[in-house]
Parts: sequence; C-alpha cells; structure tokens
Amino acid sequence: MYKNKTVLVTGASRGVGLMIVRHFLEYGAVVLGLSRGQSDTLHERYHHFSVDIGNPEAVVNCFRKGIGKQFSSIDIVVNNAAVLTSQYAMIMPIKNAVDMVNVNLLGAFFVSREAAKLMRKVTRGSIINIGSMAACLEPMGDSIYAATKAAIVTLANVMAKEFSGMNVTCNTIGITAIETDMLQSHTPAAQEKIKDIIASMPIPRMAKPDDILNVIDFFASERSSYITAQTIYLGGIN
Amino acid sequence: MDKQKILEIVIQQVKELNETLPENQQFTVDQNTVLFGNDSKIDSLSLVSVIVDLEGIFSSEYDFDISLTDDRAMTREVSPFDNVTSLVDYIHEVISEFSTN
Repeated sequence: MYKNKTVLVTGASRGVGLMIVRHFLEYGAVVLGLSRGQSDTLHERYHHFSVDIGNPEAVVNCFRKGIGKQFSSIDIVVNNAAVLTSQYAMIMPIKNAVDMVNVNLLGAFFVSREAAKLMRKVTRGSIINIGSMAACLEPMGDSIYAATKAAIVTLANVMAKEFSGMNVTCNTIGITAIETDMLQSHTPAAQEKIKDIIASMPIPRMAKPDDILNVIDFFASERSSYITAQTIYLGGIN
Repeated sequence: MDKQKILEIVIQQVKELNETLPENQQFTVDQNTVLFGNDSKIDSLSLVSVIVDLEGIFSSEYDFDISLTDDRAMTREVSPFDNVTSLVDYIHEVISEFSTN
C-alpha cells in the first residue's frame, strides 16, 4: 500500500507514534522517525532522527542538514509528537505548560512547514495531525493540552488552504485514549478521569490501534486527495 | 557570489513559475518584473514558493544556508520582494553577510 512512499512520523519511538511507524513499515513505506531520543526500531526502511520537536531551530536544522540532504521528497507526514501534563491551571508548572505549546503546537507547525517544502517537489502530499478528544471535551486539568490540540486542528485547516495548490492535504484525527506508555504514566486520579470520560462516550471503550490506523490510511490515501481541512474524531465524539 | 549570478538564478526561478501559469496569465520576466504589491504579476503564495525555491537552491547547490524571510526582510520600509532587482540586491546582501560570518 505504501511502497515507494516516504513517510515522516514524529514522536516515533513509543506509544501511538511507534504503532504508526510499524504500520507504515509493514505496508512498504520508507519511514523517517523523529523523536527526542534514540529508537529501538531496527528495519532497513527505517531512518531515525534524534531531534527535540519542541525546538524550532533544531527541527529546521534536522530538515536542512539531515532529512533534506538524504531524501528528495516526503509523501506523508504524521504529526504525532506530544507531551501532556494534566494539572489544574492555577498550579500548572510553567515549564510543563511551555513544553506543551512548543512540542504539541509549534512542533507540528515547523515539521509541517519544512516537510511542505519537500512535498512541493512531488506536488502531492498528506499532512496528518494527531489531535485529541480533549480538544472537544475540554476536561478540567487539560487547559493547555486541550488548547494545543484544538490549535493543531486550526493549523491543519489554514495549511490546507496554503498548500492546496501543491496538492497537499492537511487533516486531523482526534484520537481517544489508547493503552500507551503516555497513558500508563498518568497518576491514578488522571487514569480514573480518563475512564469516566470513556464511559460517557457514544462508543464507550478505548481506541484500538486499528481505529487510529484506519483513519490515517484514509487521509493518506491518494483517493482522498479531495479531502482536506477535515477533522475526524473517534468514538462518536464531536 | 556576484549579483549577475544571483540575477540569473532568480530569473530562472521566476521563469519556471511563469511556465506553470496559463498562457493568458504569463508575463515577461526580467529584472523589472514586479513580484509583490498591487502591480505584482504573481500572487502571494506564488511569491512564497519562489522564495522557498531560492532558499533551497542557495542551500543545496551553493552551501549558503540563508533565510530570506527573517524579521529584517519583513520590517523594511521598502520590501526586498518588490521586484526582481530588489530581491537580487537583498539576496546579495544576505549572502555577503553569511560569507563573512
């Protein structure tokens, strides 16, 4: 399905990002994984770039001096990297708040910006942002996280207009909770909150990997070239 | 790099853009071609693509990792992107500074 396609995934070393990396590798893509640290993924078509997505200069340099020199084009980008601190606004640590904006929002912006320059060369591409149910549900304690996830929807929608002339689509999938490292790292109270949210959803269960991959495949498909500036939420959230 | 060489590169990029336009929208490309503002022959997104192409060419072919859209360019009273000549002058200035640093 993805033979001869080059796919870039951020937050590639664990959780949802790692799942997405494995999916694209399984179906034949060359995958460029970006994450702050190293990756355990060993595959002849996998290329890892260690970069702090929350550092704009580092992202631009990664494209100019690394990715741009080694790869002539990118077909698909999945902006997955995200950090989450769930805390009430009045006691949210400054650094955690800033990190969420830098990684979740600015990271997606700069990766999309630099990738779009490479996509111009093939005049076809798909940028897929991994959003969150938090953008819709706006749960207490997630003010910054939810705001960044709402912001990347807007980011995709505006970029959809700017990039349409290059046949690059920009869409967002709003995912629900899935069993990942990030989820396990939450406090018991936060995990309880997520369980309550799940119970209130129209389809009251956690996402399965294929729920997410199905929508990614849909957005990434060349048959979806007329689908842009759209957000699909999982589990019946809207 | 001298201005004549930069002019050749800029003209080439604008010509390549021009060739993608429908015949009735194509224009004469020379050093007086207006790129920005009311009299511009191209729209703003097309100008962006020319700038991105130029940054890419100067980086990949000449090892000048320059940015043509930093604060300095954006805040000038007279935009460096007004026409081909002003763009060439600005690129020459940025490359000269890059080379001395």
